[in-house]
Amino acid sequence: MLGHRYPACNPNWALARIIDERLRRPMGLLDGRATVMVPILLFADASGTDADLIERLRRRDPEALADLYDRYGRAVYSLILRVVRDTAIAEDLVQETFLRVWNRVHGLDGERGSLGAWLMTVARNRAIDYLRSTAGRERNALELDETDHPALYRDIEPDILNADKTRRVRAAMEKLSPNLRTVMELAYFEGLSQTEMAERIGQPLGTVKTWVRTALKSLRAELGVAVAP
Amino acid sequence: MNCEELQDHYELFAIGVAEEPERGEIRAHLSRGCEVCMAGVKGAMEIVALVGSTAAPAQPPKHLRRRILASVGAERRTWGWMPVWATAAVLLALVAVYFANEQRGSALEALRSAEEAQGLRDQIRSQTIELTRLTEAFAILNGPETKEATFGNSQPKPPRGKVFVNPAQGVLLMASNLPPAPAGKLYEMWVIPKSGKPLPAGLFQSETNGSAMHVRRGAVDIDATGAVAVTVENEQGADQPTSQPLIVAALGNLPPR
Repeated sequence: MLGHRYPACNPNWALARIIDERLRRPMGLLDGRATVMVPILLFADASGTDADLIERLRRRDPEALADLYDRYGRAVYSLILRVVRDTAIAEDLVQETFLRVWNRVHGLDGERGSLGAWLMTVARNRAIDYLRSTAGRERNALELDETDHPALYRDIEPDILNADKTRRVRAAMEKLSPNLRTVMELAYFEGLSQTEMAERIGQPLGTVKTWVRTALKSLRAELGVAVAP
Repeated sequence: MNCEELQDHYELFAIGVAEEPERGEIRAHLSRGCEVCMAGVKGAMEIVALVGSTAAPAQPPKHLRRRILASVGAERRTWGWMPVWATAAVLLALVAVYFANEQRGSALEALRSAEEAQGLRDQIRSQTIELTRLTEAFAILNGPETKEATFGNSQPKPPRGKVFVNPAQGVLLMASNLPPAPAGKLYEMWVIPKSGKPLPAGLFQSETNGSAMHVRRGAVDIDATGAVAVTVENEQGADQPTSQPLIVAALGNLPPR
């Protein structure tokens, strides 16, 4: 019942809820105000760690690449495998992803860059580029490249792949109606254009466009990500 | 179009399904440094990146990590369970020493066996790395879209060799008469775009006989690449070349092999 009072930006709202429900409520200390964990302190360690990793990658410290892989390798592999559905090809594309990041990390802001968001975008773009090239579809590398430019990943939340965020985005995806979830998955995991989606699912283009926009707006609202200052 | 009109298209742009004219308009706003659109697109990027984390978790194979590190010459000096196995091997050797002393008094032989076992493990490890490198080199050589360029033939002094470039697999450099780089230095390969700064493509060292093979995995836009070059750099590498290139292989308008 207190869920709406837990701040959406708080990475540890689940912990705050546990404190309230398991400790404060039984002790009669729940006065209507939810416990608020301090996001800055909770983020400090995670962002510092990534900032340190970016700095070491920029210095071309070989150990940093190993640490980068240990931290994000599983997420990157899972994403790419979901897109290409072939383990051998996924391995090639994971390698390509990490090499691309290794070679372009000098463009990422050392203190305010979001390594996780950038890495996931690079991974998705490599996988979609592969799918498009094998399916004989239009392969607009420029369009993909423009979204994985490291300079775009400055001032994005650094620790986007934490367990809490992942849980929230999964819940937000599950809340979408089947049609909205389908178009999201076709757009994100198969890289289909809106026209291609309309052909695939046999719906008018206008309907598909509405579904895509509605799905993205719902995710934006659920995840509480600011879109404009 | 103004920023307000583009606001509903930021996520479409980030996920790659924005259409014209909005896509071009967002590009134009970003390229002229529009802060509103930059913030909007960044927010959208975050949402889109988060969607990627909903993929079902899968465990990458253990060899993938080794392969990625080997491809940039960054193999870690500690190898997971290797120290544990090495320690276990030493303990086993000591047990063997004890019994050997009891039975034959031949402790030295057991220790020698443990050292030999460790040596074999090191040998297997380096052969695995070499095999990975050769497999990658073969993939480039064998690619139907691979193009090749020679270098050094017109020069009176070596090094000489060839560069093979595959748009999907990467770049393979094979050189001869390339003396080992001096202490504290390594060779660094560069992929040089027709416009823009050289891109670092990995460090390598040549053999004592002057031969060298270096692989840089990853996609290469051949049409946008002017040359592949090699310079001598400090062993930690450089972001940009700091010395004159020893090798330059021009890629301009190469026909496929």
